[in-house]
Order: sequence, then structure tokens, then C-alpha cells
Amino acid sequence: MELMTIRSKEKLTILQQEGWLEKDILFEMICDRTSDGYFLDTYMALSRHKLLIAKSIKEPEHEKTYRGYPQLVQNNSSQEEGEWSVQTFEIKDIESIFMVNLVASGMLVMKAPQERIIATFTNGLMSKASRFTVIFEKLKHGEELDSELLEDETVNGSCPTCGRMYPEEGREICPKCMKKGALVLRLLSFVKPYKFSALLIIFLMLLNSASGLVIPYLTGTALFDQALKGEGYFADQIGLVILLVIVFRTLSLLSGVLFSTLNVRMVANLVFDLKSVIFTAMQRLSLNFFQRKQTGQLITRMNYDSAELQIFLIDVFSYFIVNAMNIIGITIILLVLDWKLTLICFLPLPIVFYLIQKVYPKLLRLSSRTHRRMSAMNSIISDSIKGVRVIKAFGMEHREMERFQRTNVHFSSAEQNYNRLSGTIFPMLNALTQMGGMFIWAFGGWMVLKGEISFGLMLTFVHYMYMLYGPIEFMNNIVGWWSRCVTASQRLFEIQDANPDVKEKENAIRIPVMKGNIQVTNVVFGYEPNKSILKNVTLQVKAKQMLGVVGHSGAGKSTLVNLISRLYDVNEGAITIDGVNVKDLAAESLRSNIGIVSQDVYVFSGSIAENIAYANPDCTVMDIIHAAKVANAHDFIEKLPDGYDTIVGTGGYNLSGGEKQRLSIARAILHNPQILILDEATASLDTETELQIQEALDKLIRGRTTIAIAHRLSTLRKADYLVVMDQGKVVEEGTHDTLMGTEGAYYKLVKKHDEALKMSEVISV
Amino acid sequence: MSASETRKKVTSAQTAERLKEEETAGSLSDAADVYYLTKDNAAFHKTEGQMLAVTIMEETHSAVYVHSSFPHTNKHMFLSVRTLENREIGMIRSLDDFSEDTQQLLKEQLHIRYFTPEIRKVISVKEEFGYSYWEAETSAGLCRFTVRGGGSHAKLVTPDRLLVTDVDGNRFVIQDISKLTDKEFRMVEMCMYG
Repeated sequence: MELMTIRSKEKLTILQQEGWLEKDILFEMICDRTSDGYFLDTYMALSRHKLLIAKSIKEPEHEKTYRGYPQLVQNNSSQEEGEWSVQTFEIKDIESIFMVNLVASGMLVMKAPQERIIATFTNGLMSKASRFTVIFEKLKHGEELDSELLEDETVNGSCPTCGRMYPEEGREICPKCMKKGALVLRLLSFVKPYKFSALLIIFLMLLNSASGLVIPYLTGTALFDQALKGEGYFADQIGLVILLVIVFRTLSLLSGVLFSTLNVRMVANLVFDLKSVIFTAMQRLSLNFFQRKQTGQLITRMNYDSAELQIFLIDVFSYFIVNAMNIIGITIILLVLDWKLTLICFLPLPIVFYLIQKVYPKLLRLSSRTHRRMSAMNSIISDSIKGVRVIKAFGMEHREMERFQRTNVHFSSAEQNYNRLSGTIFPMLNALTQMGGMFIWAFGGWMVLKGEISFGLMLTFVHYMYMLYGPIEFMNNIVGWWSRCVTASQRLFEIQDANPDVKEKENAIRIPVMKGNIQVTNVVFGYEPNKSILKNVTLQVKAKQMLGVVGHSGAGKSTLVNLISRLYDVNEGAITIDGVNVKDLAAESLRSNIGIVSQDVYVFSGSIAENIAYANPDCTVMDIIHAAKVANAHDFIEKLPDGYDTIVGTGGYNLSGGEKQRLSIARAILHNPQILILDEATASLDTETELQIQEALDKLIRGRTTIAIAHRLSTLRKADYLVVMDQGKVVEEGTHDTLMGTEGAYYKLVKKHDEALKMSEVISV
Repeated sequence: MSASETRKKVTSAQTAERLKEEETAGSLSDAADVYYLTKDNAAFHKTEGQMLAVTIMEETHSAVYVHSSFPHTNKHMFLSVRTLENREIGMIRSLDDFSEDTQQLLKEQLHIRYFTPEIRKVISVKEEFGYSYWEAETSAGLCRFTVRGGGSHAKLVTPDRLLVTDVDGNRFVIQDISKLTDKEFRMVEMCMYG
């Protein structure tokens, strides 16, 4: 929820003054900025017949907390009651209220009948302001208000635990409070199928660190104080001690090698499982999910995040166990052997910790700077390779060289800084670590001379000390690794958990073969809350007829067909096919009955035959050839050396735009849908290719309900009925002849089209 | 001379050159057919409803909006005067072509359209789980906002000017990053390219 800086007492006073009751309010909002660059509130409320505008006339606010920022800071400046300048308007006196999109903010303007600015607001209030205008419009025309429209959509906007707003709308995940434990448990649930290997791995880890821990004791105390001195358990048994050292060393080595190999194999399987689960989850999501900004980089996310998890599980998780056990084991052994000497050993540790804490962030910063500058340099290299024709054509090689030189210098200096620091700090850390050893040599030596401890014990200490530093350094990094793993797994699971916007109903209706009667009634739709693309569109397509949809680009033609094939759900109104709302239809029935041939054709990696048979993999080879023949694709395919076996798609043979289009038509022919949608199918092709494809399309259209979108009117010459769309509305409809007779928008389009055709004829002559 | 000063000089020199070029290269400007507004052919005034109106050759447009062609490098040059329907009524080469009062009026309009608090002091930037939480003193007061991680939300639009965009698309700007203190720069730098 946005900051309600108007206090309820102030609001009541204002309402009372104007003779309003709180229950009169249908919708209210607070706009938060002034037109001269400051923050100050304007309160607005709508009742059935009136609009109230209260502008704060205080000093501007000194503070502003935007959405997403943890709400720990109370806004002090709004504690005192302020003055408000209040105005009330009768809705009937106002012509309209509309929103003007500014740069990163918006403005509400009222027309009554002169235009005037009501209020300005920051970007976060955009959708609320848009609802304000919609509600006003409905009140103005005496229409019923949807309860959905009046609901406060931001109710679930903040995390109930810490009060932080969720950084992304509709994604109720607080990065701070998400249950990390549960996340890891869920991750570990993927281990279940491999529980025997997991148990074996843990056993081998334990064996590895236990056998490793014995060795310093054997090479120190056992060898020097017992075997060589002829005292204690190993008295005079040098051979045995050395044999034991060899045995334990081998055991440690073997168990280490074995657990790493087993672990790597298990983790690879685990990540494989995870990827397939996520990929399957992705397939069932709606188009909208893929087009949302934050999920734009799905490929990177799949690969990068799963690699991150793989690294964590292989390198971090397993070694965490080994290292933790080493640290605990060594400390206990040292304390048992001699606690005074142990404390001396640990003397340099605080300094090491301090240095690591202090210098690592800086090192990290420098390394990320190096990384950034490298990518800046790389992008220049890639620019100049991709744009080499332009560079050479304009003779700009020299300038490109200069540009590269600049980034090169930047990169080099960043790298030098990094190297200088890392070159200093690591030897220092090493020296400090060595110093722990020195301390033992010095103090231990002194104690040995005094006869307080034996030489073997001292040697044992030195060895243990060296074994300790590695694990400690490892533990220091674990926090960073841990948080990266949590983020990565959270992002992956988010895909798995995401709910498709377009959901199939449980008892969805199945129609195996549709007749193809399509009815679109009062449809309103927008991809974003404040931008309706379709405004109250109503149209009808009778079975087996062809409907042509014409209009300028951006008129909402493609959006219309996206809604008919239910890639999105309508905001208002309804679309029915054979009398059944598309929302009630089974997805399978929709997909098998609707075929789309669109402007951008996607060719999958695989052979041409596979591509044609995409929607119908069980078809016969003969079907494929016949479909290609009908689609006018057969001849060009036969010309290719590998014929129908030609591999196309990424890395394969490059098809031209027309060839691809013909493949997609063949695909649609095989799919054999009852309803066919042609979305600018020939828009990107030259006239000759278009003619060939048109011929193929004509064959395809026969006997099907067809909706054809085109800005080239020649494509629509066979349409039984035409609709002209402009700015999301149907502005004209009728047959070609009636529309030409009325001399309206369609007539103008045809005239323009003819002129353009004449022009191209002149040019080609 | 700092990099920014050099750049500013270069920019104004370039603009002057551009103006000169345009005078000489008649054919290009003929082809472009841009209608330039000056104090001789256009009169701006503010309506009662605080909107900007312009009268050009006896035709009054009651609500027009001013777009800056170079909002980052040269905000007051080449302004495009447009209707709500995004039709260009004319262009203003430079604010200097108008009287003080009109300049003030146009600047106000630019303020309305380009609401971008200017960051004067970065108090803290904390990065956590892919978001950075900013607290900064700006020209509009103390602002706290959240920026999504990953490069494009804090980017240099000129070598010195950093544009920061929060989760809702609200904009903030650091005029000259070379003038930040070391501590401020360290905090900001971590979010600059992800």
C-alpha cells in the first residue's frame, strides 16, 4: 500500500466540511508529487455523483519512501495536521478525466470543459490512477462498478513478517524472510532417489577426515616421543608407525577420491532432475510469464542458477562437512594435548580474521570492477565485429580503435589495482599463518627445553596448525556461497511454483471438432494496467467464413487473435467459440482446433520433415510431402541437396523468410485446424513470394473459419467480411463492397494501398 | 579540467556547430521540414487549469506538452512541443529564443514532465538478494527507494551522469559521479553494472 500520509482525522474533517460521509466514498487515492519537483499530497475521492480534490498546502514533505523499501522509518513530517485546499465537483459537470504519461511519473487532467491539471504522481501510483480514470468514466455514464475494480489490489503488497514491501508486484516473496531452511529441505528432497549414494558419501567423508586427523599424531607424538624414545605404546616400533602413517594416508586419499567422484556423479544427476522439473514447469506457464521483465532471462536463469547450485553442492556443501569436522576435531585434539600451547597457536587468528573481513570486500569490489570493465571492452569488440560493414563504409576504423583503446586502458588499470591488492594481501595472510607455526616453534621449543612438553608433541602441534588454516579460510567464504545458493534455488523453485495466469478449469469442456462460430463481445484488454489495447471490441465470425481484420500497426489486431486463441485472458467481456466461453474450454480442444500462421515463423532445430510434422508427429511421410506441396514448399525443398532431411534451425541450413513461411503453412495444413488465424502471414515478404504464398494460403483457407490480419489489403481480397480497427476499437465493418460504398476508413486504406501499388509499379518499370 | 567540464564544452560546441550546419545544409532541413517556434511566430501562455497553451498564427492549442530531445545532455535545447496525441506542433531550438517569462513557463513544463530527483548525497546503498536499497538526499528531499539488481537499472547516460531507476520505474539522477566522495562512489559503483 502506498503511504497514506493523510491522517484519518484530517480526512474526516475534510469530508465533514464538504458534507460527505465516509461510506459515500467509492474510490480514493493520494497523488504524491507537485508539478514543481517536490513531494506533497493531493487527496482525491469519488462518490456516486461527486469528485473531491483536497490539495495539501503545507510545506513540501522532506522525506519520501518509495515502494519496496523496508518500512521501518516513520514519516515524521506528516505527524502534524496540515492545511488543505478542498474542492468538490459534480461528476456531471466534468467531461472527462484522463491520465497523461510523463517521464517516470504521471498526471491526471480534468476536462470541464477547459483542461486542468488535478494532480501529479510518481510511477508507483500509475495503475491506481488508471483505475481512478476508469471508475470515473463508469460513474459518468452511470455504469455498474465491478467489485474487482474497486478492490485495493495492493493489499498483499508487503511481507507480513518484516513489513518490507515485496519488490515485485504479484510475487509474494520477501527476499529477507523467505524460509531458507525450507528451501534447502526442498532442495535436499531431490536427493531422495540417491539416498544410498548420499549415505555412502557421508560415510566416506567421515572416514576421510578421521583418517586425516590421525596422521599428525602419528608423525609427531607417536614417532618422536614414543617410537624413537622407546617409551609408551609405540616404543621402538618405528616400522609400525610408518606403516600406519602410510595406511592412514592411503585411506584418507582413497576415501577422498571416492567421495568426490561419487558426489560429482550424484550432484550431476540431481541437477539434471532439477532442470527437467523446471523445464516441465516452464512449459505449462502462460505467455505472459515469459514476457514479464524479471523472467526475461529464463535461459540464463536455468543454466546459471543450476550451475550455481551444482557448485554449491559439489564444492561447498560436501567440503563444509569435511572442514567443519576438521576444525572441531583438530581443536579438541589440540586442547586435549596441551591447552596452553593451543591458545598460543590461535594468537594470530584474530588478525587473520580481521584482515579477511577488512580486505575481502574491497578485493571483491575491485574484482567486480575488473569484470565490468572487461565486459565493456568485450561489447566494443563485438560491436566492431558485428558492425564491421558500417565501420568500413564510413571509414571509421580509427575512431573504433580509439574507443577500444579507452576501454582497454580502463580495464588494464582496474586489473592492475586488483592484482596489486591481491598481490599484497595473500602473502601477508600466508606470513601470518606461518607465524602461528613460528609461535609454536618458539614457545614450544622453549617449553621443550624446559622439559614441559616433548619434541614430538610440539611437532604434532605444528602439523595440526597447518591443517587448520585451510578450513578456517573456507568457513569465511561460506556465507557468500550460502546466500548465492539460496537465491539460485529460490529463483528456480519460483518457476516451478509460478501459477499460470491462463488456467484451465477443472471440468473444462472438450469439443473434439469445433464448427468455428466465434463471437467476441465487449472485450476490453490491456497488457499493462493503464493501457487498454482493446476497447469494447465486438465482432462475429461465422463458421467456415473468412474474416479480414485491417488497421494500422498498433490498432490491436494481433492482440485480438492472441485473445481468441487464449494466450491471454480478457479483462472484460467474453469470447465464445461455438457458444462456449474460451475460459471454459479445455486447452487441448483449443489448441487442436486453432492453427496460427504468423509473421514471425519459428523453425525448430531439426529436419524440414520434422518441422512440418511438428504439430502432428505421427503423420505419414506422404502427408508431409502433400502438405508441403499444398503450401508451395515442395519445389524448393526438392532443390535442396538433402531434401526433406535438410537440417534447419540453429546451426543448420538457412531458410529465407518466404521458405520459412511456406514451412509454417505446411505445418498448419498438417495440423488441420477448424479455425485458422493468419497474422500478417505475408507481411515481411516481397511481392512475388507473397503471390506464391497467397496461393498456398488460399488452398489452406478452404473449408475453415479464418481470421486474417493484414495491412496489405490484397491478402484479404477473399474475405467474406471485414472489420477495420483503429486504436483498439472496431471503427467499421461490412463486406468489401459495402465498405467501399460508405467511403470511410476502409475506403481510404484501399485508396492508399492502390497508390502505393501504382508507385511500386512505376519504380519497377 | 574535469571530464564533465570537457564534455559540456564539447556538447555546447557541438550544438553550435549543429545549428550552423543546419543553416548551411539547407537541403536537409528542407527535407526534415521541422517547424521551429520562436517568439515571433508562437506565443505561450498558461491556462487557468495550469496547462500550457500556445498560439501559432491565430490558432490556439489549449494543452500542449514540452518534450526535451536531449534530456540528459542538453535539456534546454531542441524542445518538441506536442499535443496529447503526440502530434508535434513545432520545435524550439533553444530557450534563448524566447522571453524570460516564456522561458520560465517552458522550464516549468520540463519540470512537470521530467520529474527526476537529483541525488545530492548518497547516505547508504545496501545490497541484498538481488535488490539494492538506497537512501539519498535529493533535490526533492530525503528519498528511500529500491532498485532491482542487474545492470540496466543504474546506468551512465553520459560519462558522468548516472540514471538510477527503481522497481516502479521512478527515476533518480546523480549529476556527476566524479563529484561523489570515495565512500559514496564505492556504494554506488557496486550497483552500476550488476
